[in-house]
Amino acid sequence: MADSGSPNRRQLLLLISVFIIATCGLIYELVAGTLASYLLGDSVMQFSTIIGVYLFSMGIGSWLSKFLDSNLLRWFIRIELMVGIIGGLSAPTLFVLFEFTASFRLLLYTFVSLTGILVGLEIPLLMRILENRIAFKELVSQVFTFDYIGALLASLIFPLVLVPYLGLIRTSVFFGLMNVGIAAILLYQFPETRPYRPSLLTGILATALVLATGFVFAGQIMSFAEGQSFQDRVIYAKSTLYQRIVLTQNRRDMRLYLNGNLQFSSADEYRYHEALVHPVMQGTQSPEKVLVLGGGDGLAVRELLKYPSLTSIRLVDLDAGMTQLFQQNSRLRQLNRNSLLSPKVQVINTDAFTWVRADTSRYDVIIIDFPDPSNYSIGKLYTTTFYQELDHLLSPAGVVVVQSTSPFVAPKSYWCINHTLQAAGFQTIPYHLYVPSFGEWGYVLALRNKHWRLNGKLPPDLRFLNQQTLRDMLHFPPDMAEVPTEVNKLNNQALVQYFEEEWAPYAN
Amino acid sequence: MPISDHTDRMSRRQFLAQTGLGTAALFTGTVTLDGCAPANDTSHITGQLNGPNHRLGHLLRDAGHGRWALPDVPFTPPPVEPAHDVGILIIGGGVAGLSARRWLEQQGVRNILLIELEEETGGNAKSGENPVSAYPLGAHYLPIPDVRNRELLDFLQQADVITGLSPEGLPVYNDYYLCHDPEERLLINGYWQEGLLPTVGLSADEQAQTGRFLALTEDLKKAVGTDGRDAFAIPVAESSADPAWQKLDTLSFEAYLDQEGFTSPYLRWYLDYACKDDYGTNLANTSAWAGLHYFAARKGKAANASASSVLTWPEGNAFLATALRHQATSAVETGWLAHSIRRDADRVYVKAFSGQTQQPAFFRARQVILATPQFISQRLISAIAPERLTLADTFHYAPWLVANLTVRALPQDRGMPLCWDNVFYGTESVGYVVAQHQSLQPQSEQQVITLYWPLTKESPDLARRKAYQTPYADWKQMILAELEQGHPGVTAYVNDVQVWIWGHGMIGPQPGFISGQARKQAARPVAGQLFFAHSDLSGMSIFEEAFYQGIRAAKEVLHGQKR
Repeated sequence: MADSGSPNRRQLLLLISVFIIATCGLIYELVAGTLASYLLGDSVMQFSTIIGVYLFSMGIGSWLSKFLDSNLLRWFIRIELMVGIIGGLSAPTLFVLFEFTASFRLLLYTFVSLTGILVGLEIPLLMRILENRIAFKELVSQVFTFDYIGALLASLIFPLVLVPYLGLIRTSVFFGLMNVGIAAILLYQFPETRPYRPSLLTGILATALVLATGFVFAGQIMSFAEGQSFQDRVIYAKSTLYQRIVLTQNRRDMRLYLNGNLQFSSADEYRYHEALVHPVMQGTQSPEKVLVLGGGDGLAVRELLKYPSLTSIRLVDLDAGMTQLFQQNSRLRQLNRNSLLSPKVQVINTDAFTWVRADTSRYDVIIIDFPDPSNYSIGKLYTTTFYQELDHLLSPAGVVVVQSTSPFVAPKSYWCINHTLQAAGFQTIPYHLYVPSFGEWGYVLALRNKHWRLNGKLPPDLRFLNQQTLRDMLHFPPDMAEVPTEVNKLNNQALVQYFEEEWAPYAN
Repeated sequence: MPISDHTDRMSRRQFLAQTGLGTAALFTGTVTLDGCAPANDTSHITGQLNGPNHRLGHLLRDAGHGRWALPDVPFTPPPVEPAHDVGILIIGGGVAGLSARRWLEQQGVRNILLIELEEETGGNAKSGENPVSAYPLGAHYLPIPDVRNRELLDFLQQADVITGLSPEGLPVYNDYYLCHDPEERLLINGYWQEGLLPTVGLSADEQAQTGRFLALTEDLKKAVGTDGRDAFAIPVAESSADPAWQKLDTLSFEAYLDQEGFTSPYLRWYLDYACKDDYGTNLANTSAWAGLHYFAARKGKAANASASSVLTWPEGNAFLATALRHQATSAVETGWLAHSIRRDADRVYVKAFSGQTQQPAFFRARQVILATPQFISQRLISAIAPERLTLADTFHYAPWLVANLTVRALPQDRGMPLCWDNVFYGTESVGYVVAQHQSLQPQSEQQVITLYWPLTKESPDLARRKAYQTPYADWKQMILAELEQGHPGVTAYVNDVQVWIWGHGMIGPQPGFISGQARKQAARPVAGQLFFAHSDLSGMSIFEEAFYQGIRAAKEVLHGQKR
């Protein structure tokens, strides 16, 4: 047995423990802050509240330490075990429960406080263990030196090594194992622990096993936690009144999800938006006024601003949370080139159906970029009734375009939108293109008559559209050919049923 | 754009939300018992009990008629102020009275006055409103009518409910008013199925019975009597008088189903539901003719809707009642309780109490239309036609409870999402409708739902008396218990419960009533001066009948004038 080591060696061991537990303690705090920023957004808020709560909890822990008497070493080992399990499991638990808890913050701060209290107990206890072995001034000086060096180490390796190479879950579990390791070493280095070795040993082994399992399966835990929906790093997440907005980032692209549905990938959204905007703009002579319904990301507006003839662009999007995000966030403003801040653009946050019924302006072009008709509420925005309301908003030579889901995956849905527009009295021109992140995607142009020019002037700097691609988009190969469908009306909502049926095999 | 199964996700999320909270509480060690409020805690729910002005109405019965109203007291005409001296006086501002008023005006009749007991006209088609939504307090939908019902179609066209005619000559209904999809769902065996006719978990024989009944109603829709009229028509008066069909009225619907071998409990539940829903009666006290009429008389056609389509509004049929009122301009005075009626050779005198002052005043008219239910009408004229008083005893009215609940959210369960009409299999109420269903705005979590509950457990008289005596707190518990059967745990989400009691909610088409003489006698004019208009004279409390009865009475008035 190794418990015959000299008192000096044990003393050093305790000081090394101070160093390690200090590192662990700060790591847990950083893990919590980072995780909260990932999941909840607003990192300044998350970090400062978590640091505050954590430090305060450490204070509570320090205060509580005076109630621990008798066998201090035994208490210390126990606390190491508890820190190991609670701190170590904090990241996996928070990730997994994030999707499922009503109040994630309650859970988060519970973990932070518990870890803080336990960490707060550590140093006072250690000092009391050491108080009879070292002179007080030495003790204070040494303990705090090791403590602060540990903190420095943690704050450096966390962003440089741990997050990039281990990830948050493995980092938290790894440092949990460190705490448990401290417990094991102390248990075997100090002879006075003999009487209670067996019981604590069981605890140590069980805890180590749980943590080791967590370390090995961290990848699986993460992918379960994210519900397989976001493979990439979440850089922004916010729940607005209407939806949950999530932005993810990887080396290749940035992606926007609304309620878990992909809206665009920065790598290929130009294809989607060029195809949405430019064909319809060819449909009318020198358009001046444009109405955009949906499209709160401002990407369609970005394309519109390439036409100097436009004097006014009105964007109606239900969700102020969405339009504000795309007006304020610098990376997103880079993507939409500040389009929503242009003086030509007026942003109106209200329900499109109500607004369209009440509006009395006339527009040369109406661009409809609603979410897919995946529920009855959105399905109403694809009905004959809605399209008929557009009539009084459209100038005599006006043109409408509707994003119309995938004619490949959902041919009935796609052609149903086409037929609904026809039933509402429009001539239609269906077209489609390939957007890598979406697959085949379709649109329908709706006109009062079929006067639509293919050879109008396109803005100069387009990446996808030219005269040739315009022509290609009109061609529907047999596997996407027109199919007979019902017309979508408020009192049958045929489209929502087609959409559900056709997309169901693709849903996760 | 991959879709996610929102329905499933929400329920799973909500379930785990609670688990998560529990876990968190365990961690913090702050689990306290008061953290879990008892499920029956309803102290957070506001609301009150209301109903038509039955207290004032009962003055009529309780106060006696006074000397003025006694037939053997010699009658001397009382003084009448000029505003109360009119050509035609209509008593009752429900759908029948408003329909009579509108029709008379459209025929060029002027000098009409309508008086109404309540503060608002509309009768059963009453509505309320709170910050979340307008909501119905009574009748709340209209099936699209038979195209032969010209008068009703004209009205709907004037109300912009019909927007035009298709090239085939079929009415085009306003899409905003046709009930939006999804329309109906039924909670059965823990699952919300689409439609109300049970289809989940039926044996082969039960399925066959359902099929046989549906085929039967299709045949009955086409059935014609020896007089060339449809066996089942709306208005009821257009139905065939052929005894072969009329004799179905003498049989109870229950006896009919026994006789025809319709034994499936699912089918019988559905038919009982239908009787409760349309008449406030159950299988045993509905006539077979009326029970079948519910299915066989709906022959509506439209360019843009099917025969089973209905028209509805957040405020229910108050929309139609308001349109009826606004299609005429003659005076309407509310807050008048008609008390008794006398007449001389060329004038009718009506004594009425002002609801405001409780003081009596007199009205004088050449003709009076009593657009009130017969338990009131026949009593009002007891001084003139005392022999008719007993007629009223054959009219039985079902008491109804209508509860409007404002909820923060409705738990989403397995199966169909929230529909317009949501029914629980095997419970006492006939389910609830969602007021914002016709709203075009994105569905908010907050909803007003209207629970309909015909009080059929006891005889109508007993149930009515009990209903008048039941305090609000008891209603609230009963309503929440009913809703909990369909949505366990919903009580915590309920903010407000408004209870409305209709003591005489609907005329019940009991066996023998529609084919009987009483309703015909009660409709007969008195001395070319008094006319009767109310849906109870049809034996069915539906908008179409009230609308028809108003026009019928108005026509009789004009016919009498011409002579």
